Amino acid sequence: MVNNSICIKTEGLTKIFGSVQAIRELDLEVKSGSRFGFLGPNGAGKTTTVRILSGLLKQTSGTGTVCGYDVSTQRNSIKAVTGLLPETPGLYSKLSAVEFLEFIGALNGRNGDSLHQRIDRLLAILGLEGRQEDLLESYSSGMKQKVLMASTLLHDPQLVFLDEPTSRLDPAASALVKDLILLLAEENETSFFICTHITSFAEDVCDVIGIINEGQLVIVDSPHQIIESTKTRNLEEAYLKIVGGKVDRQTLLTWR
Amino acid sequence: MECRWLQIAKAEFFVLTARFKGHRKLFMGLVLSLGLLWAVYFAPLVVGLVMEVLTPITPIRVILQVMFPGLMRAVMLLLWMLLLIIPLGQALSEIKIGQWEILLASNVTTRDILVGTFLGKIPSYTLYVLVLAPLLLSPFLLALQVSLLGQLLIYTILTLMILTINWLSNIICAALQAKLGESSRGNDIAKALALLMGLIAIIPVLGLQLFATQFSVILGLNVFLVFPFTWSADLVSWLAITFNGINLTASQIAHFQNVLQFDLLTNGLLIVVFGVVCIGIGLLSAERLFTYQIGARSETVRTVKRENILLRGLRKISPSSFGSLVVTCFKTFFRQVQNLSKIAMALTLSVILPFLVILVYGQGSPITLDSLLPITGYGLAFMGIMAFSGTSFLESKDQLWMIQAVPRGTSRFVKARLVIAVLIALPLSLIPTTVLTIMMGLELFQFFWLFGYGYAMVCGAALFGTGITALNPNYEDIKSPVYTTSMMIANMICLFVTMASPFILSVITRFFIGVSLDTLLVTWGFLSAGVGRTIITAVFLLVLGALVVLVGTRRLGRPGT
Repeated sequence: MVNNSICIKTEGLTKIFGSVQAIRELDLEVKSGSRFGFLGPNGAGKTTTVRILSGLLKQTSGTGTVCGYDVSTQRNSIKAVTGLLPETPGLYSKLSAVEFLEFIGALNGRNGDSLHQRIDRLLAILGLEGRQEDLLESYSSGMKQKVLMASTLLHDPQLVFLDEPTSRLDPAASALVKDLILLLAEENETSFFICTHITSFAEDVCDVIGIINEGQLVIVDSPHQIIESTKTRNLEEAYLKIVGGKVDRQTLLTWR
Repeated sequence: MECRWLQIAKAEFFVLTARFKGHRKLFMGLVLSLGLLWAVYFAPLVVGLVMEVLTPITPIRVILQVMFPGLMRAVMLLLWMLLLIIPLGQALSEIKIGQWEILLASNVTTRDILVGTFLGKIPSYTLYVLVLAPLLLSPFLLALQVSLLGQLLIYTILTLMILTINWLSNIICAALQAKLGESSRGNDIAKALALLMGLIAIIPVLGLQLFATQFSVILGLNVFLVFPFTWSADLVSWLAITFNGINLTASQIAHFQNVLQFDLLTNGLLIVVFGVVCIGIGLLSAERLFTYQIGARSETVRTVKRENILLRGLRKISPSSFGSLVVTCFKTFFRQVQNLSKIAMALTLSVILPFLVILVYGQGSPITLDSLLPITGYGLAFMGIMAFSGTSFLESKDQLWMIQAVPRGTSRFVKARLVIAVLIALPLSLIPTTVLTIMMGLELFQFFWLFGYGYAMVCGAALFGTGITALNPNYEDIKSPVYTTSMMIANMICLFVTMASPFILSVITRFFIGVSLDTLLVTWGFLSAGVGRTIITAVFLLVLGALVVLVGTRRLGRPGT
């Protein structure tokens, strides 16, 4: 149920926590099959946006649709067609990778040989085949992130929300995730909504970038256009120019 | 940086008084002043008044004088147990060795850490001493009319003893944390041990309460002279005897000498030597205690093996995705040592339960189902709550996000947890009811009643426990206030339902039908009104428990606001 090939559409989406306005009047359109990078400083409202769009959090005001489903009234339908990789790993430490993925599969109503084959293949691609029967408590943070990545893709979602997918990964694993995203988007037309701090990753993977600052969407464009419009050399410089936060060399040592 | 141990002590103190941030000095000053006022004025006054009211002081004085040395040893044993076990339990339930890494990286010696953490805890220990010690010692001091100088010396000895125990517990805590804190398995074991600490602490305290007289006689035996708590107790006894105001005769003092055996000087020397040895061991072993041995790559990795017959059976019975979910939840439940500890504790208590039942009704007294069912029922319900409420439901908030991210994920998850609870409830109710049947010589049909009722009560309690935990999920460990709140609420509701449901129904039947519930139950063909009432209780508990689970599940699955 794709609404005119737009997989995410929000209008005036606002979220207020007490006195803090986490998101302000967010108007956003993400096309199906695109890889949307959501950039912003810590506390800018990225995770809050993802939680609202994936049906985990109620917005204070505004409307939104995800894969054609209303974020206020059709949360279960949204959950059925999306996958979410949370910011911090909420794994069961006493399960092995296979058992954890079986748990997620069972929650999604899948089981049997087809599920197990899918789990085995995913773990093999992610380079965890040798450790798949070990308890997750013994995994490094990067390995846990890989298991989470597998759990997000397990039920073949139309749209995948990735909250800081490579923050704990080594360069090789980051490259693997990058290729996986590009391939899934190309072959499966899977849409990706990626929250990240790593501008180089966003520049390589995403075809559209949205930068959010203090709850407000500042800019939405292709990485190339953003770099060009800000007259900078790369996305990191463009990001710093838009969001601010570049501290000059002299100030950096004033604390001494 | 000068006096690094002082900085660590300050940090410990800040953690201790975090709730009163901004008013720390005022708060501590006020609390310590009140404690001092309580210790020197109110506590002796209150104890004196209570003793006067209960019975005139003279007969008590005689009893206290005779039993004084033995009782003092019992009191000191209690103090030692409390002061060693409480910090140990706290340290085990919240293992934090991450701070050591920061401290050791800041060019701090291991001795600084040990001394700093010890000194940081002193304010809280001082408070314990000020509140508890006068209550425990005043009866004896009043009975022997100990002079002011004597009292001052006694409290000084007591303070030194408590500082020594504090130092000792500090060393043991550091050693345990270092051993268990570096691996997740160790952390799990620590939490399990922390749960059992309660049981370890309760047993001697209960023993002392029930057998105080026998203990005071037994503790007079020579074998106890090798324990440091005896030396400190005997030193206090000698000081009270030496500075008594009732003019003890030479023969009376000789009697005390016979019981106490070691004199004032020997006990004093032994205590000093013990303190010095403790300090020495702590300082010398500090280097060994605060070392990292296990690295991320050298930690023992646990690998899962083939599923056991029970799990395979479950998969066969329910080959659907829900069956898989139940099996996975089963694995997570039983692989957490903390849960095993809870089940073990519930089983231990369930085996003790029949003995308590006999204690209540008296050995050999005729026991009917009417009288046996209520106490067994509530006892088993308590075990059900202990096993299924509070912890190990979800490991983190992120885990909840993951479950919520699946359509109807929370309701499927809670249902799977309930299936596990219903299965575990079987042995939890079967073991104590079987023991009770054998011990009391019950007939087979009585056993079936008892087991059926017990099973229903455990299941009802499990529903309550799960429902309340779903309403108020706890992502931390047993130290968290959420855990205590969930346990207390579930227990109170269960107790209320158990006691109030027959009464409420009785009021309803009288009001609307004009007949008492008991008459109605007998008319309906129940074995007896008592048996009928217990069935009503179980039905009430199950229905209300199911309602709480329903509400809890809905709330757990609700999107955040």
